[in-house]
Amino acid sequence: MKTGLTVRIVGIVIAVLLVVPTIVICATAFTSGSAVSFPPQGFSLRWIEDVLGDRRWTRAFGNSFAVGLLAALFSMVAGAALALGAARARGAIASVFTAISVLPMIVPLVVGAIGFYLVYARLGLTGNVLGLALAHGVLGLPYVFVNVLALLRTLDPRIEEAARVHGAGHLTTLATVTLPLLAPATVVGGLLAFVSSWDEVVVATFLSDARFQTLPVLMYSQIRSGVEPSVSAVSLIVTVVTFAIALAVFAVGPIRARLARRSSRL
Amino acid sequence: MGRVLTNQGGGRRWWISVGLLGLLFVLLALVVPLAVVVQRSLDAGFDNFADALASASFIRSLGNTAVLAVGVTLCSAVIGYPYAYAMARSGRVVSRILLTALMLSFWTSLLVRSYAWQVILNDTGLVNEALQFLGVIDEPLQLIRTPAATLIGMTHILVPFTILAIFAQLRGISPDLAIAARGLGATRTRAFWSVTFPLSLPGLAAGSLLVFVLTLGYYVTPQLLGGAGNPVIGQSIVEQTNALLNTGVGSAMAVILLLIVVVILGVAARFLGLGRVLGLATERSDR
Repeated sequence: MKTGLTVRIVGIVIAVLLVVPTIVICATAFTSGSAVSFPPQGFSLRWIEDVLGDRRWTRAFGNSFAVGLLAALFSMVAGAALALGAARARGAIASVFTAISVLPMIVPLVVGAIGFYLVYARLGLTGNVLGLALAHGVLGLPYVFVNVLALLRTLDPRIEEAARVHGAGHLTTLATVTLPLLAPATVVGGLLAFVSSWDEVVVATFLSDARFQTLPVLMYSQIRSGVEPSVSAVSLIVTVVTFAIALAVFAVGPIRARLARRSSRL
Repeated sequence: MGRVLTNQGGGRRWWISVGLLGLLFVLLALVVPLAVVVQRSLDAGFDNFADALASASFIRSLGNTAVLAVGVTLCSAVIGYPYAYAMARSGRVVSRILLTALMLSFWTSLLVRSYAWQVILNDTGLVNEALQFLGVIDEPLQLIRTPAATLIGMTHILVPFTILAIFAQLRGISPDLAIAARGLGATRTRAFWSVTFPLSLPGLAAGSLLVFVLTLGYYVTPQLLGGAGNPVIGQSIVEQTNALLNTGVGSAMAVILLLIVVVILGVAARFLGLGRVLGLATERSDR
């Protein structure tokens, strides 16, 4: 049974409200005036050029990329390991693996931020890529865990058994059979972990200093000191990068389905 | 015999040791820092907790947070339900449009969305300009730095969680049930309220709980939209640690927030299952 017209109209109105903020910000990035206004005055690329030519912004871009990539790597390795443990251990041990993997989702960012700050500052892990990547890596881990666990549930155990029967050791089987099979889910989880790091302000503020700032940290301090079109231009660039990753995530879905079909035929 | 290899004896021990590798990472990177927060909160006996609970501004922020969380949860349910329903029960085109809009919003950076609402709700923002243009008001309304601004921004940021939880639940309910009710003489409205809606309640409950719990820990959006005048817990904690440099009391406040979250999720887990609230169960039922 289809919905009535009213429900569909209500849905469309809410849909418009959902996307308006994104559209407003992207539009104000193209203003030729010097104030953030909607509809924007005229059309120019001056604010985007401004941002791309500003060392402060480009350095923050570089920092955010480096932190995001390293964080995604940590999330992928640890998240896939925990998913394998949770799927293939039994009873209490499996529950411990699951609980520890969802813990980062449950801890409020402010609470985590204080903890990271108290410990990482003592170890010299503030104001650099490694410290923030460790924190973001653990916060992004649940994305990898959930995706890999879901794939593991559908995986045919006979594929790995075939490798073992033919004399491959545990490590060889893991490296040449299991991990390649898990790669699509791990990459999707890693992309999500990258985006969550790319977007994260609170922990990043606690772990940054005047010389080391990520994009959200710099944006946040700019927004607080006053709204300016350059922030809209950065927002536009940030959004474009995120949407490109979103498209990649949706593109991996069909690949994953195809791989699953192929492996089930074996 | 396959089971023998992957799931028993040496096989299982191997997978446990793989899992332990990940466990070690979470322990060192997150659990140790959380333990240090707890330790720091107790470094003067219970004095830090006493100081936190004696602070009028912290108690006020607890109240503000509770009001905000209830408001965001209710608004998300009221806005999210019809959206999820339209997404689950409309034709291909409308469903696609609604899903795309949801994803565009969901994937926009949290900071960008908070900034957007600041631009929209400003004294010279979209809403005030439009109302003045239409002659509804002469002077700009004070929208920014009010609890209402935080409510609007937070609802916009969190409503996708409610929508996705309800949508997952609705997709599991066969439309045939409502059709059967109609065949037996129920009106469209009656069929919805006495068949579809009750069956969708677990999804609504799970989504609402998640939104409620997530709201408790927010800092950036309330700071940008609500200002410092009506602080939430997150703002109290950051003020203690960053502005007042009092990590002891700040840690005590953080432990209180963490306890509130854990207790709510613990109670929720008894009734709904934790996997469902955190969206793990929907992930599985999707396939």
